Amino acid sequence: MYCFRQKNHSKLSFYSLLEGKFKKKDEMKKFIVLSFTLLLGGFVFSQNDDTLRPSQNYKEIIIQGQKKDSKEKASAQLQESTDKLLSTTPGITLIKRGNFALEPTIRGLNAGQINTTIDGMQMFGACTDRMDPISSYIEPTNLEKIQLSTTPNGEQTGSAIGGGINFALMKAELGAAKKFSGKVGAGYQTNANNIQTLGTFQYSTKRWALLVNGIYRKADNYQAANRQEILFSQFEKWNAGANLVVALNDKNRISLDYIQDEGYDIGYPALTMDVAFAKAYISAVTHTYENRSRKLRSIESKFYFNFIDHAMDDTKRPAEMVPMHMDMPGTSRTFGMFSKAKYVLNPKHILTFQLNAFQNDLHAEMTMYPDIGSEMFMLTVPDGQRRTAGLNVADTWLVNEKLKISYGGRGEVNLSDITTKIGRQTLTSFYDGEAAQTRVSGNVFAQANYKFTKKIGFYGGLSYGQRPPSLQEIYGFYLFNRVDNHDYLGNPDILNEESISGNIGVNLKYEKLAISLEGFANSFTNYITGLVLPEFSNMTIGADGVKQFDNISDALLTGGELTVKWNPIKVLTVQSVNSYTYGIDETGGFLPYIPPFKSINSLKYHHKGWNVKLEHVGAFAQNNVSTARYGEGTTPAFNLLNFAVQKHIDLKKDRALHTEFGVENIFDTPYYEHLDVLKIQRQGVNFVIRTTFVF
Amino acid sequence: MKKIFLLSLMSAFLFVSCKKDKDETVDPMTGGTTAAAQYKLIDKDTTDNDLIVELYANTETIEMGYTPLYVKIKDLGGNAVENAMVSFMPMMDMGTMQHSSPLEQPVFNSTSKYYEGMVVFTMASSAGSWELDVMANGESATFDINVMMNPTNTKYVGSYNGTDGEKYIVTLVRPFKWSVGMNDVSFMVHKKESMMSFPTVSDFTIAMDPQMTSMGHGSPNNVSPVSKGNGYYKGKVNYTMTGDWRLNLDLIKAGDTIVNAYIDVLF
Repeated sequence: MYCFRQKNHSKLSFYSLLEGKFKKKDEMKKFIVLSFTLLLGGFVFSQNDDTLRPSQNYKEIIIQGQKKDSKEKASAQLQESTDKLLSTTPGITLIKRGNFALEPTIRGLNAGQINTTIDGMQMFGACTDRMDPISSYIEPTNLEKIQLSTTPNGEQTGSAIGGGINFALMKAELGAAKKFSGKVGAGYQTNANNIQTLGTFQYSTKRWALLVNGIYRKADNYQAANRQEILFSQFEKWNAGANLVVALNDKNRISLDYIQDEGYDIGYPALTMDVAFAKAYISAVTHTYENRSRKLRSIESKFYFNFIDHAMDDTKRPAEMVPMHMDMPGTSRTFGMFSKAKYVLNPKHILTFQLNAFQNDLHAEMTMYPDIGSEMFMLTVPDGQRRTAGLNVADTWLVNEKLKISYGGRGEVNLSDITTKIGRQTLTSFYDGEAAQTRVSGNVFAQANYKFTKKIGFYGGLSYGQRPPSLQEIYGFYLFNRVDNHDYLGNPDILNEESISGNIGVNLKYEKLAISLEGFANSFTNYITGLVLPEFSNMTIGADGVKQFDNISDALLTGGELTVKWNPIKVLTVQSVNSYTYGIDETGGFLPYIPPFKSINSLKYHHKGWNVKLEHVGAFAQNNVSTARYGEGTTPAFNLLNFAVQKHIDLKKDRALHTEFGVENIFDTPYYEHLDVLKIQRQGVNFVIRTTFVF
Repeated sequence: MKKIFLLSLMSAFLFVSCKKDKDETVDPMTGGTTAAAQYKLIDKDTTDNDLIVELYANTETIEMGYTPLYVKIKDLGGNAVENAMVSFMPMMDMGTMQHSSPLEQPVFNSTSKYYEGMVVFTMASSAGSWELDVMANGESATFDINVMMNPTNTKYVGSYNGTDGEKYIVTLVRPFKWSVGMNDVSFMVHKKESMMSFPTVSDFTIAMDPQMTSMGHGSPNNVSPVSKGNGYYKGKVNYTMTGDWRLNLDLIKAGDTIVNAYIDVLF
């Protein structure tokens, strides 16, 4: 009970912050009702990884760390795809359109609702059909860790309402134990004839260090259960990255990052077109200042530029599948900066400030070549531009030994415009007002952590946030969505999406057992979705109609995650990760893109460098769909078994050899997940062999 | 150094003047205060009463459809005559038959100093031969007009048999300069009363439905043309992309569709 009182306390302090935000009294009322539902509901979650920092409501998936004990893990993680790493994280579910570039969603939120960044840098996919979430331009070889946040927090670089995913880039280590070190690896998967080779190399001195990494991956069409070949699911890509860190003195460092990622001939079986190429160029220069003995602890400033060049392709498809040949290239260009500072006000208050600004320019066009008649040209994102500047302030307040409260907010100004004449003319097709618009958005948040005993901790938080609609949601022009088979029009008059969200969780950590449970509720006002425009005729051949992005009065997302980790004996680990989301719209109908209950359970035996893992992955059926409104069908339940053996051999001079053999989907079970577009069967049985040499 | 400076200064001026030129070429499309030099001389002829008649158009070549024509009348001394009685009489000679076409008689425009009129050329010269008589103070100057077909996949004028037994001519009004998005669009409707008489018809209700024929889709938010008098109908057409567009026009009177006309455009 004590803890609940504490929750109330934190909630009350939060009220004063919020009060100004509510214009109407009923909104306030709704907020109170929601808060109480949350508190009384009391069911909930959180992941309890060693890397978890629940205080920030922040989860981290470490890929390559600089700690020694992470070497073994890194050897295994490096070989996975970014998609695979994301898919096993509680709260994240992927939208699948092919065997490549899966799009992450967090607790039923996707696209503009979440904030996806690379090392804090904003980057936006260039494809109008969402073929290139920015996670597709990043490989584990580039990464130190993936950071998942499910609520607004002090680290955010955008006013997304659903938290975000940040891909933290691996940095070269100054003064490493070995001057020259690295990892080389190769892997092969029988299904899809999937090969990969990778390498990371680091040269380190006390004053400067250089890290370079590269990976090459290629796959043919994969086979679903019963050796059913999924046509147009091939891909090929390479990715190379470099990081140079120079210590100017013991307090100042300069870091340069460059990543180039190029994919070719990428198949999207769930879409009508494939991709000829998808290229990304990511660059950044970062200055960090750190002084542990001063109040101003650290300042990190980054300037960045990234560019995506993307071209869809239908020339590889058989003629009968292509009603009309089209070229659909797109580009996305973003440059920006952020600067964040940590200031220790006194031993009880740590303040963080972050200023960030960026500009993103999108261009997407389509040229159609009919058999009879003239070629046709249009812009699908008519040269939209977004400029954003924002400021975050957060305070971590160590109230006493048991209670920690972090709270803060973000304010942001967004200027959106169309930069070309043809783009502005295109907009007149569906909008007669000005193209340029200015929006203000932001959020406030508070999160409390209460350590009941050494073994039991409670936490909970509340936040209110607004996000501006994305450029696609404002200016999009006949963007085809395969899920509901509709063309989408943007809507410059659309309102900011607002949400009030709360989360509450408990962490139990005993010697042999760790349990974390978190629940959340996210109540939306002006939830953005597509609404049918009945009089409009679709542009895409074979589509069912036209929708326009619009606000629905409210929507509610709720759910939670449960993680259990149990070591009955030292060499055995039983782990279970469970996620559930439930979403309804203003009519009480079910929202789209909501994953059903999913559970990943594993039994691990580890002894003397051997690691044997039997894993069960399963999901309940998803029958909570609104087919008429959102076009989604139901999805049956599935259960899979995976098996893997890893052997880690430590060699002389701190070298190691890591080998892995695995079987995925042992019983060749036919299945697909609920967010898979067009319900295309996923991969059947697959034998995996990988080896990594660490030196 | 000085040279470079001068050069850059010059180029700046060049740039400015270029831009100005461009503006002027855009202007005639909207009509109104046009630089006289923009009109292209088609031909000139001298009448029996010693007037020099110069015939101008917006373009050097004339093609089917709505064609604004500009006339300048001078005496033998080269002085402009601004108070002449000027009228057009176009005639298509098809061998077996002759017919005229819809037109607007020229009126003197004191701003541009031209007599400004319009002829709808309903056929191309490949079907016969067009002659335009320009009457100036009772005497005529005669011009052979070579009327070209509309470019491939376009159709700017059409003749239709109405369900009321009458024949109608539906014409897309120039100038037009299409762009993706919302465009102003005007049409004219004439009735073919006889081979020589084509009065305007202003009492139709028009329902317009643009279609991208090669893809089978239309476009939203079009504004069907409404009558502005003198046979003119004005509306808005929404092109969601470039390419071949067919503007389907239903001419409706008292709830009955009298004519299913169409205009094809390409840009």
